[in-house]
Amino acid sequence: MQMQRLLLSTYFLFSPERRTANMAASGGRTVGSFLWKCGNCCFNFNTVSSNLTRQVLSRQLCVSAVLHRKNLAAAGPEKFSEEFIKKQVEEFNIGKRHLANMMGEDPETFTQGDINRSIAYLFPSGLFDKKAKPLMKHPDEDTFTKALAVEKHQDRLRGKDLFTQDAKQISLVGSRWLLKEELEELLVETISEHDYARFIQLMERLLSLPYCSVEEDFVQRYRRQLEIQSSKQQVQPLQYDQHGVAYSTGDGRRKTATGTVLLRDSGSGSISINGTNYVHYFPVLQDREQLMFPLHFMGVLGRFDMQCSVSGGGHSSQAGALRLAISRAMLSFLSEGQVETMRQAGLLTPDPRIKERKKPGQEGARRKFTWKKR
Amino acid sequence: MAASLTGLLKPWTPRVLLVRWSRYNPYYLEPEPRKEVYHIPETELTPEQKEERELKSVRPIKAATNSVTSSVFNDPVLSKFVNMMMKDGDKIIAKGIITQTLENMKRKQVEKYHKAPEGKKAEIECNPYAIFHQALENCKPVIGLASIQKGGKFYQVPIPLTDNRRRFLAMKWMITECRDNKHRRTLMYEKLSQELLAAFSKEGNVVKRKHELHKMAESNRAYAHYRWW
Repeated sequence: MQMQRLLLSTYFLFSPERRTANMAASGGRTVGSFLWKCGNCCFNFNTVSSNLTRQVLSRQLCVSAVLHRKNLAAAGPEKFSEEFIKKQVEEFNIGKRHLANMMGEDPETFTQGDINRSIAYLFPSGLFDKKAKPLMKHPDEDTFTKALAVEKHQDRLRGKDLFTQDAKQISLVGSRWLLKEELEELLVETISEHDYARFIQLMERLLSLPYCSVEEDFVQRYRRQLEIQSSKQQVQPLQYDQHGVAYSTGDGRRKTATGTVLLRDSGSGSISINGTNYVHYFPVLQDREQLMFPLHFMGVLGRFDMQCSVSGGGHSSQAGALRLAISRAMLSFLSEGQVETMRQAGLLTPDPRIKERKKPGQEGARRKFTWKKR
Repeated sequence: MAASLTGLLKPWTPRVLLVRWSRYNPYYLEPEPRKEVYHIPETELTPEQKEERELKSVRPIKAATNSVTSSVFNDPVLSKFVNMMMKDGDKIIAKGIITQTLENMKRKQVEKYHKAPEGKKAEIECNPYAIFHQALENCKPVIGLASIQKGGKFYQVPIPLTDNRRRFLAMKWMITECRDNKHRRTLMYEKLSQELLAAFSKEGNVVKRKHELHKMAESNRAYAHYRWW
C-alpha cells in the first residue's frame, strides 16, 4: 500500500512534457535493463552513481506509448496553457452530460457525487486503492494545478531572465540506495524483488531529470552514506626499542608465500631477507622494484632498516608478500592522508588472485583435451 | 543489511561462471600507482576528477600488479610488449631481451650522433624509450579488416579499430616479424633493434605491412556498408 503510494508519488513528480522529452532522448533497451533481466544482485543499482551516466542507464518506461504515438515530436511538448485547461473543462462538461443521459438522469442537476456513483457502477474496479480506480473529476480540482504552477513559475523566471539550465546536481558519490531489507524496514511491509527493482528504476529516472536538486530531501531519505574505506585500515601503534629507535612489524601474503618485516627508523636503508642481502636474494630487478615500491611512493627510500623473513611460493609471490608486509608496517609511520594515498595506489589490498583449479573433463584450468572428431 | 556490503569486499566467484572473470568483485576500482597524481592541489582539479576522488574514497581498490611501480622507469606500453614477447611465463628472459634491445638502440644512435656533422646532431634521437614509442606509433594501423559473411560469401570489410587493438596489432607484427624473418644466427635483440630503428624512420617490413593493410582496406571500400555496428 505504502509502496504503491511511493511509486505513484515518484510518477507524480514527473511532468508529462519532460517524460516525453526523456523518452525521445533515450531509445530502446539499455544496459541497466539488461543487467536487471540477467538477475544480477542488487549492488548494480548502487553502482549507478555518476550524474553523467544516469541518463544512459535509466531504463525505458512506458515503451508501448512511444511505439503507438508516432508524431510526438511534431506535436511539440504538451503545455498546460489556459486554452488547454479550457478545452479539458469543455470536454469534462460534455462527458458529464453524456454520462447523465446514459444513467437516465437529468443532465442539469448531475452532481459530482452522482458522477462518482455512475463511474463506479459502469466501471466496477476490484482495486483497493482509491487513486487507482477510474475517476472523472473537474480539471480544476486535480492533476493540472501543480504542473501549471511549475509552468507559471518558469515563465516568470524567463521574464526576469533568471531561468538557467545549469541547476546544481545532487551529490551522490558517497552514498548508496537503500537495500531491500532497509526499505522494508522503512515502509513496515514486505516488498517483492520486482517492486524493489522498480523502485530503484524510478529513483534513478528521477535523478536523470533536470532540476532534480529541488527534490533532494526526498531522494536523500532513501540513500545511505557509504563508509570511507581508509577508516577500515588497522594501524598498529609505533613501538620503541631500548635505544629509542622507532620500529614496527608487518606481515603479508601472496599466493602461497608469507612474509614478515621488521621496519626500523634508523636511517640507513639496508634490507636483509632471511639473513642474506636483498640483492643476493632477489637477483631479478622486478622483485627488487616491488620491494622499493612502497618506500619510493612515500619518498622514504633511505630512511628505514628492514629485516625480512619470507617462505613459500616463488620469487614473484615472495616479493609481493614482502611488498604488502612493508606497506602495512609503514602505516604506523604515516598520517591519515598518506594512508589513503597508499590505499589508492593499490599497496594495501592483499592480492586475491590464486592458481585456478583444474576442472574434471579438461586437461588444466582452461585447456581442454584435444578435440577428436570421432 | 551490512552483510551484502561485506560480501563485496571478499575474494569473489560470480554466481554464473563467465569466461573472462577475475577474483576481484566488479565493485573494486583500478589502482593509480603514479606519484604525481596525488600531488595536484585541490584547486587544479576538474569536477570529474573531484567526483572520481570522492568515489575512490568510498570504494575498495584492487592491488597493484607485480610489474607496476611508481618509479619513473615504469612504462605500461613497454610492460605490455614484454608480456607479449614472453614465452611459457619466462619474464626474466623477455625482460632481458628488451633491455638488451634498448641498450643496442642507444649504442647505434650514439654512434650515429658522433659521426654526424654539427648541423645534423640535434635531429638524431638518442633516447631509446622515445624511439620505441615513436616506432610503435608508426606501426599502428588506422583501419582494420573484418571477415563478414553475407549471402554465403565472406567479404573483407574495413572497420575502425580501438586504441587497444591498434597497439596490440603493432606489437604483434613487430614480434612475429622479428621471430620469423631473420637469419638463424642473428639474435632476437639485434633484429628487434634493427626493426625498431627502421620503424622509427618509417621504413622496414612492419611499416610496409601496415601500409598493405591500409591499401587492402582502401580497395575494399565498397563493402564498408556491410558493417552494421
